[in-house]
Amino acid sequence: MQTPLRIDPTRALADIATFQRKLAAGMANLRNMREPEYANTPRELVYSEDKLKVWHFTGHGKATSKTPLLIVYALVNTVWMTDLQADRSMVRNLLEQGEDVYLIDWGYPDGADRWLTLDDYINGYLDRCVDVVRKRHGLDAINLLGICQGGAFSLCYTALHPDKVKNLITMVTPVDFHTPDNMLSHWCRRMDVDLFVDTMGNIPAGLMNYVYLTLKPLRLNQQKYIGMVDILDNPTELENFLRMERWIFDSPDQAGEAFRQFIKDFYQGNKLVKGTLDIGGQSVDLGMITQPVLNIFAEQDHLVPPDASRALGKHVGTTDYTQLAFKGGHIGIYVSGRAQREVPPAIHQWLRQRD
Amino acid sequence: MADPANDFIRDYQALAQQSWDAWTRQFQQPPAANPFAPPPAPAAGNDMLERTLAGLKGYFDWMQAAASGGAAQPATDWRQQLQQMFGGASQPFAQAFGGIDTAGAEGFARQWQSWLQAAQRGGFGELSGLQGPTPAFGLNREQQMQQQALATALLESMRASARYQELIQRANAQGMQRLQARLAEPGRQVDSLKGLYDLWVDASEEAYAGIALSDEFRDAYGEMVNTQMRVRQLQQQQTEQMCQQLGVPTRSEVSSLGERLQALRREFRANLADGSADHAGEIMALRRELAALKRRLADRPAVPAVKKRAAAKPGVAVKKAPAKAARKPTSPSKSGSGQRKRK
Repeated sequence: MQTPLRIDPTRALADIATFQRKLAAGMANLRNMREPEYANTPRELVYSEDKLKVWHFTGHGKATSKTPLLIVYALVNTVWMTDLQADRSMVRNLLEQGEDVYLIDWGYPDGADRWLTLDDYINGYLDRCVDVVRKRHGLDAINLLGICQGGAFSLCYTALHPDKVKNLITMVTPVDFHTPDNMLSHWCRRMDVDLFVDTMGNIPAGLMNYVYLTLKPLRLNQQKYIGMVDILDNPTELENFLRMERWIFDSPDQAGEAFRQFIKDFYQGNKLVKGTLDIGGQSVDLGMITQPVLNIFAEQDHLVPPDASRALGKHVGTTDYTQLAFKGGHIGIYVSGRAQREVPPAIHQWLRQRD
Repeated sequence: MADPANDFIRDYQALAQQSWDAWTRQFQQPPAANPFAPPPAPAAGNDMLERTLAGLKGYFDWMQAAASGGAAQPATDWRQQLQQMFGGASQPFAQAFGGIDTAGAEGFARQWQSWLQAAQRGGFGELSGLQGPTPAFGLNREQQMQQQALATALLESMRASARYQELIQRANAQGMQRLQARLAEPGRQVDSLKGLYDLWVDASEEAYAGIALSDEFRDAYGEMVNTQMRVRQLQQQQTEQMCQQLGVPTRSEVSSLGERLQALRREFRANLADGSADHAGEIMALRRELAALKRRLADRPAVPAVKKRAAAKPGVAVKKAPAKAARKPTSPSKSGSGQRKRK
C-alpha cells in the first residue's frame, strides 16, 4: 500500500520556521493590542433594578415597526454577543431594518443574588422589563426575542403571561433537553445538583467556561489558537479574534438557586416538554403559546443541538409557527457574515407581516 | 558515524526550542502566596496570552518531535511512523485530552494540597482516617469524625477521578485508531504537518464525542463531580468551624441572611402587587358603578323634580330649601362666594 504520509522533512522544518517567524513577528501586535471594545451601538438606559438594566437602542432613524422588540438573552455569557462589533451586530442590523430594539442586560450576579430563583427571573425581573417597554409604548403586548437560555425563559414567560406578548421569536433555544446528542445534558444527568449548589453557592463563570471548553477540548483549547498565528500580522482580524475571546471568557457567575432549578427541571427533568414545569407555583404549558412563533436554530450548534430546538414545533399551541434553520453554529448565528445577511432580515420580514 | 542531516535537524530544534523558551519566559508569573487562593492566576493582562501560549506550545513541541521522529524517517511503515509522531509516551499529544481535561482536576488537587498544608499549620494535625474509619472518643470526638469523613471523601474523589481519566485515555487511543482509519482511506494523502495535525484533531474529537456521550462517561462524570463536591463541602465545614472560633462571620451565616432578605423582597413585591391589584379592582368597580348610574340618569325622562316630589308625597312642604336657609343665615362677611365674586 502506498503511504498516505508524504511529509517532506525539509518542508516540515520550513513549516516550523514559518510558524515561529509568524509567532515572533505577531507577538508585538498581540502584546500591544488593547482590550477590544464591543460595537456599543448608541443606547439609552430605560430601566434598572438590582444588577439588571434595560437598554433601548436609539439607532439613526425612527423605527418603522409599530411594536417594539425586547431581546431576552441567556444568563450565561454577556448580552454583548448581540452587539459584538460594528459590522457584526445583530442589534444594529435589526435597527437598520426598522425594528425598535430593547435589550435586557442581566449583569453580573454576586453573593447577594445567590437566592434568585427562576420565578424571580421570569415572573419578576422579566415581567417588570416587559411592563416597562409596554408602558413606554402604550401597548398591551410587545414582541419578544429570546436567545438560548433566554429563549427558554421567553417560552415560560409567554406561556404564563400570554396577553403581554404579541409575537415570539426564539433563537438557538433548547426545548427538548433530552435529545441523544446533547452533551451538556448528558453530563449533568448524574450530577447531584443540590450538593453542587449547596457547596458552590453561585456557580463561578470560570467553571462554566471550563465545561464549555471540554465539549470540544482540542478545537477550543488548541486548534483555534494555532489558527490565530496566521492572523497575528493582521491587526483587524486579530482584534476581531481577541474581541471574541473577551466575550467568551468575560462571563457572569450564575445565581445558585436559579442554576439549581434550571439544571434540575430543564436539563435533568426535561419538564418543559413534559408539561410538568412549575415556575413560582404556576404550571408552564407550552400549549398556552398561541401567538405567532418564529423558531431559529443553528444546524451546527454543539451547545444546543438542532433537534433540541426543533422540538418546539410539536409543543406550542400556535397555528402560526415558522422554523428557520441557519447554516452555522451557536455563535456564528450572531456574528458570521452569513448571519448578518440572513438572520436580522428574516426576523424583520417575519415581524413586519405580523405587525 | 556522524549523520550531517540529522545533526542539522537536532541543532535546528535546539535553537528553535531555546527561542521559544526565551519568549515564553516573559510571561511567567510568580506563584500565589495565599494557600487558599484558587489555582495560580496569570498576571493581569496576560490571561489570554497564557491560554494561547499553552495551546501553541503543545503544537510547537509536536511539530518538532514529528519532524525528527516521524517525518524525517524513511517511510517503511506509515502506521509505525504515525505511532512515532503521535503515540509515544513522550509525545506532547499522547495525553491530549488528559492534558486538557485534567486542568480542572489539577486545580482541585492543588487547592486540596494547599488546604491540607494550611490546615496542618492551623492545628488540625495529621489527617486521620486515610487508612479507613476508626472509632473516635473523647473531647475531640466530633473533629476526629469529621477528619475521617474528609479523608474518606478524598479517597472516593481520587477513585472517581481515576475512573474518569481512564475514559479520557480511551478517547486518546480511539482517536489514534480513527486517524489511522482515515489515512487508510483510498486516495488519502497528507503532505504537511498542519494537514496531519488537523486530521488528527478531527479524528480525536470524534472519538472523544463518542465516549463523552456514552452512559459510562455520564456516570463517571457525575461521580467525579459529586465526590469533588463532597470533599469541598467537608472542607468548608471545617473552615467554618475555625472561623466561628475566631469570631469571623461565615459563609453560611451570610448566605442565610441573603436567603431571608430575598424572601422578604419577594414578600414585599407580592404585597405591593396585591395592594395595587386591590386598588385597581376597587377603582374599576367604582367606575363601573358610576357608569351605570350615569346610564340610569340618562335613561330617565326629563321630569321637573319639584313636580315629582309633590306628586309623590302630597301635603309635604314643597319649598324645603328656603326653610333650611332661614335656619342657617349666612353672614355676608364670611361668605366665600361673595369674596370670590369680588375677586
